[in-house]
Amino acid sequence: MSTTQIREVKRSARMQVSRGMKTVLAGVIFLYIASAIFAPTSISRVAQMGMLPFAACLAIVGLGQTLVIQQGGIDLSVAGSVSLFVVIVTWGPDRHDDRLIPAVLAAFAAAIITGLINGALVTKTKLNSIVATLGVNSLLYGVMMALSGGSPRRTTDRLSHFTNNKTFGLQHSVYYGIICAVILTILLKRTVIGRRFEAVGANPRAALATGLKVGRYQIGAYVAAQIFYCIAGVILGGVISQPTAYQGDEFVLPSVAVVVLGGTSLLGGRGFPAASALAALFLKQLDMFVLSLGVPYGVRTIVISISLMLGIALYAVNWKAVRSKFGAKGRELQAA
Amino acid sequence: MIRFKSRAAVVASVISVAALTIATSVVATSSSSAAGVPSWCGPKKITMGFTDGFGGNSWRLVTTAAVREEVKLCPSVTKLYYADGQGKTDKAISDIKGMVAKGVKALVVFPDAGQAMLPALRSAFKAGVKTVPYRVWAGGTAGKDYNLFVGSDFVLAGKLWGEWIKKNLPNGGNILSLSGPAGNSQGADEAKGLHAVLTDPKYKFIGAQPFEVTNWDPGKAQEVLTAAIAKYPQIDAITTDFGPSIVSALQAAVDSGWKVPAIAGSDGNVFGCFYQDNHATQPNFKMMTISTQNDHSRLAADWAIALATGGKTPTAKSYPSTLFEDSVSGKPSPVQCRKDLPGDVYLSAKMSGDAQAKLKTN
Repeated sequence: MSTTQIREVKRSARMQVSRGMKTVLAGVIFLYIASAIFAPTSISRVAQMGMLPFAACLAIVGLGQTLVIQQGGIDLSVAGSVSLFVVIVTWGPDRHDDRLIPAVLAAFAAAIITGLINGALVTKTKLNSIVATLGVNSLLYGVMMALSGGSPRRTTDRLSHFTNNKTFGLQHSVYYGIICAVILTILLKRTVIGRRFEAVGANPRAALATGLKVGRYQIGAYVAAQIFYCIAGVILGGVISQPTAYQGDEFVLPSVAVVVLGGTSLLGGRGFPAASALAALFLKQLDMFVLSLGVPYGVRTIVISISLMLGIALYAVNWKAVRSKFGAKGRELQAA
Repeated sequence: MIRFKSRAAVVASVISVAALTIATSVVATSSSSAAGVPSWCGPKKITMGFTDGFGGNSWRLVTTAAVREEVKLCPSVTKLYYADGQGKTDKAISDIKGMVAKGVKALVVFPDAGQAMLPALRSAFKAGVKTVPYRVWAGGTAGKDYNLFVGSDFVLAGKLWGEWIKKNLPNGGNILSLSGPAGNSQGADEAKGLHAVLTDPKYKFIGAQPFEVTNWDPGKAQEVLTAAIAKYPQIDAITTDFGPSIVSALQAAVDSGWKVPAIAGSDGNVFGCFYQDNHATQPNFKMMTISTQNDHSRLAADWAIALATGGKTPTAKSYPSTLFEDSVSGKPSPVQCRKDLPGDVYLSAKMSGDAQAKLKTN
């Protein structure tokens, strides 16, 4: 095999647009077309400006969840983590700008510690990730309550400007979401550490046999996930000027949904962070679409559920088998 | 205000770490005899319980502190036990059973989970505990399943908003109503009151009926309000039963150039301060609030203590909805804002704003 051929093989492995990305992109385009036809106000500037910062936060949380799911785990401490980080960056400064940076640093320190605890519980004690992260979630709520009594403070002006100021007509929070997705994609697909990370997720035993420090990559996934949750928490603290102590509650299921919609297998292995981020846009625009349709709340919930089911069915159902089964039946009928 | 946050995901994790969330605390109350003991405080010595379905927000914190203050007025209550159900129905039920096992003679319950709490209430009542659920209707019958339900008239709250809108928008207009979780009875009752007053077709109710669902969550409220602003170019009035939860949404909308309409809601320091900061530049922004009713729990405590200690029972069986602020008439009060205090202080409460602020830093 010539060098050129090897290079081509490598490039194709790294650069190809994933099936998840294609699907989500098609989904987003389809949704925006449907929005333009059936609920045009949902794509108006006001609606988009209201929706995009929340989509960015969900995208960033989704990036963290993608990393954990790539390692065959699942992180249910999202709710407690995001809630705690929002409380730290709002309760800590208590409307004083000069205390913001220490509070943000404290939030990141808390994120790293939480990630290490999650990672150690899963990799060292071999606890199931669902059980371990749920336990840590309770712990985080306990810490959050002890800190704030369930009562965060109003966002500082500095944090609010950091997230809500606009460049080229878009809030900065949206750019932060895009930057996070781009950086993670490059790290995963273009660096040695990223490739090894995916290899560990795909087959930890084989990775171990090749001499990779499997435990480190797995713990690293939980730590990196918490760092992303922390970024999302800081941004959310700025986007919502008067947050509650439970802002993270809304992220648990959507964070897993965006990963699955983005095409990352729940069994671990290859991850598609950009697709996860785009799936966050899909989910939030779907919310905005059904809100703008003006249908009753029950119908909204049904529309969202069906859309999610269809999205997930694209990956979960073995369509080839379905086609061949129905194809075979069709042939039998024709023969009869 | 019923603020219930379900965190079903947390249920399974209670395991060992739940202890860290400190479910039950014991508050020893002053036993020293004080002059001017209220009439609802009888001579019989008792211990008392207060169980909250969900205790984790500032409104609940103030409401719980109000009960503690009330209990301190009655030297016959030698001890008050408090338990936080943390939004979990099973814990809220076992909290009630725990109180009965401790031997309390009076029990005040905030039954967030509604009718699911009825069997536990009944078992406390049958065990001879003077049981008083309040605010959330748990079904059942007074005298059979519990001693008394101390409710609040949310229909009246809706009527007060309606009357104010009628007065301040005499030519009619589009009205958007916001409330908490889908189907919550508070929001439904408020809508009934609102519709009963604004019968003229010139008042048009826009958005989902009976109200737009916000879960009383600022993030959700922001999404809902931006969708409504995009859909309805003309919004003349907004009603909200948790004013502070829509401040983020209003701020974001103002930042994008939207003109704030008239708002009828419930009070909160952050809400009042938002008005003070914006009314000069927002010609259509008028505001009225009803009291957010932190002191509802006091009436329930008075009833439970009166029944258990042999005191004189209060005359009121339901806590009234009352006007608090009106930016137009200035009566009973102009819109209030204490910038030196946190946003989630409720200036309509009997407990002072400064005392509430201290509660949170303890």
